[in-house]
Amino acid sequence: MAGRLSGGGGAAVYTMAAATLVFVAAPLAVVVALSFSEGALATFPPVGFTTAWYEAVIANEEFQNAFMVSVLLALAATATSFALGVPAAYALDRWPVPGARMIEAALLSPFILPILITGLALLQFLAAMKMRDAAVNLFIGHVLVTLPYLVRTVTASLKQVDRSLEEAATTLGAAPWQVFWRVTVPQIVPGIAAGCLFAFMVSFDDFPISFWLGDAETMPLPIFLHSSMSKVFDPSITAMSSLMILTGILAVIGLEKLVGLRRAMSV
Amino acid sequence: MAKGGTATDLALSGLTKVFGTATVVDRVTLRIAAGEMVALLGPSGCGKTTTLRMIAGLVEPTKGEVLIGGYRITRVPSHRRNIGMLFQNYALFPHMSVAANVAFGLQMRGMAKALIQPKVASALALVQLGDYAERLPSALSGGQQQRVALARAIVIEPSLLLLDEPLGALDRNLRESMQVEIRQIQQRLGITAVMVTHDQEEALTMADRVVIMRDGRLEQVGTPAEIYSRPTSRFVASFIGASNFLRGSVAGRNGDQLQVQLASGGQVLVPSADGGRSEILISVRPEAVGLRRIGETPSASESGTPATVQQIVYRGQTTHVHMRLDDGEPFVAFLPNRQGEQAKTFSAGEKVWASWSSQSNWPVADS
Repeated sequence: MAGRLSGGGGAAVYTMAAATLVFVAAPLAVVVALSFSEGALATFPPVGFTTAWYEAVIANEEFQNAFMVSVLLALAATATSFALGVPAAYALDRWPVPGARMIEAALLSPFILPILITGLALLQFLAAMKMRDAAVNLFIGHVLVTLPYLVRTVTASLKQVDRSLEEAATTLGAAPWQVFWRVTVPQIVPGIAAGCLFAFMVSFDDFPISFWLGDAETMPLPIFLHSSMSKVFDPSITAMSSLMILTGILAVIGLEKLVGLRRAMSV
Repeated sequence: MAKGGTATDLALSGLTKVFGTATVVDRVTLRIAAGEMVALLGPSGCGKTTTLRMIAGLVEPTKGEVLIGGYRITRVPSHRRNIGMLFQNYALFPHMSVAANVAFGLQMRGMAKALIQPKVASALALVQLGDYAERLPSALSGGQQQRVALARAIVIEPSLLLLDEPLGALDRNLRESMQVEIRQIQQRLGITAVMVTHDQEEALTMADRVVIMRDGRLEQVGTPAEIYSRPTSRFVASFIGASNFLRGSVAGRNGDQLQVQLASGGQVLVPSADGGRSEILISVRPEAVGLRRIGETPSASESGTPATVQQIVYRGQTTHVHMRLDDGEPFVAFLPNRQGEQAKTFSAGEKVWASWSSQSNWPVADS
């Protein structure tokens, strides 16, 4: 570890860091605390301790359905973004593709454009195309917003790959596809993993796209949460929220086990 | 590892590379004999690395041909050229063990696992790293990593070994021992080798022949001794070692030697086949120069010129005496320091007579 910060500047940095931590973690802690409350309404401070809300939520078929929709949607969007994003990033970085910068900018544009508007535009477009299957429409919309994460992280890790490794493999007799699989891919695995984690969480957590493209039968969890909340704000909402937080934590732990989080986040 | 009985020669013919509007390599033509080690030497930007990369197939030539063993391979992709290459940063695969790194080229050739293992073991033994097979490259020192890279390059029994500033990242002592080690292995296996370096000592130590490159062209090609003692131009003479340059005008002819009147005073004899010139530039190596006090009589076979001592620098093996000639040009002598022997002492401002054997006069082109 580097030396500790000291003096007035150091105190300011520590205060800022502590404040950030409080504003990120404290609201989540409140949500989790409320999910165990015995009160009939989700109001702070929580009263008593019960796991009844979780039992109710998990038994709720609508919740089960929404949870499955979200998990499957996130997995499908992540897998598709992986399958499209890795080759796209490779081609954009390594091949003399005409208009590569334009294509990259287009692929990354969901980062910049308001997602709510992207979702609305997509809804109108899909309606004009007479595509009415909400599951398919959600899938398309989610790929649209998760793909940039794969393209971005994979491009960044490709730029860090030492090109002489690839050249060494080439001189040793490796054909271009062998160079890619045996040498390039192992170097960019952390970037791919980080991109997949981002993609999964962005999709799992997505509201603005699902808001336009979902319907009553295919309703992702965030939309379900929102509609439940507008009916009654009891601690079951916070129990569902806590389960979403848990899913995120499990995804991070899974990534840590798979490639090591430090490595993955170093892109 | 058996000595490769199939050493191949390499030929470059009119090899040219143009990047945009810049001609980086300009009509390089060179023959390299089987088993020979040639060093491409020159300042950065002289085109030596691009030339090497064109031989490797990593850069496509704009014009010209590369021939290995008489076969034109200019359009053969790099991975089918059967070359071993060393990189300055070693370029070991960080996710593979030392043994897996060395085995890589053999795997790419579709060799059976049972055949690969003994070859990897003997290649690692050759570079004295037999005990390191299961380590990751990151656990090795720079010198060890480059030895692994050498084992990886030679285990495939390449037609050609290419070395791109292979020792540039190592410290001086290690570099010297690695120079000897790489050279010994290259000679033992009889591999034709081309090395790129900007380190003149490395080129002189390791290569059978040295190629001096300048602005994308071959400036001079020759053995280390030829390049050092018979430089063709001022550029070569000052790039390889240090050199003094004396201007003079031809006063007459004496057999196959020219009588030259030095601009700084004094007359010298210079070997020259070309008697047509009237102005001449002479290169004299500083270690050839001796100093006398004014008044001591020079011998008849010596060349010399008067000079004024400016600065004296003690360097251990030698003492460097920096002087200025009467025409204002700098002149330097490297005087040997023999242990226990009283060296002649001079002081700044003193007028001296710098002298050297007439055999040390060598005419060079003023370019």
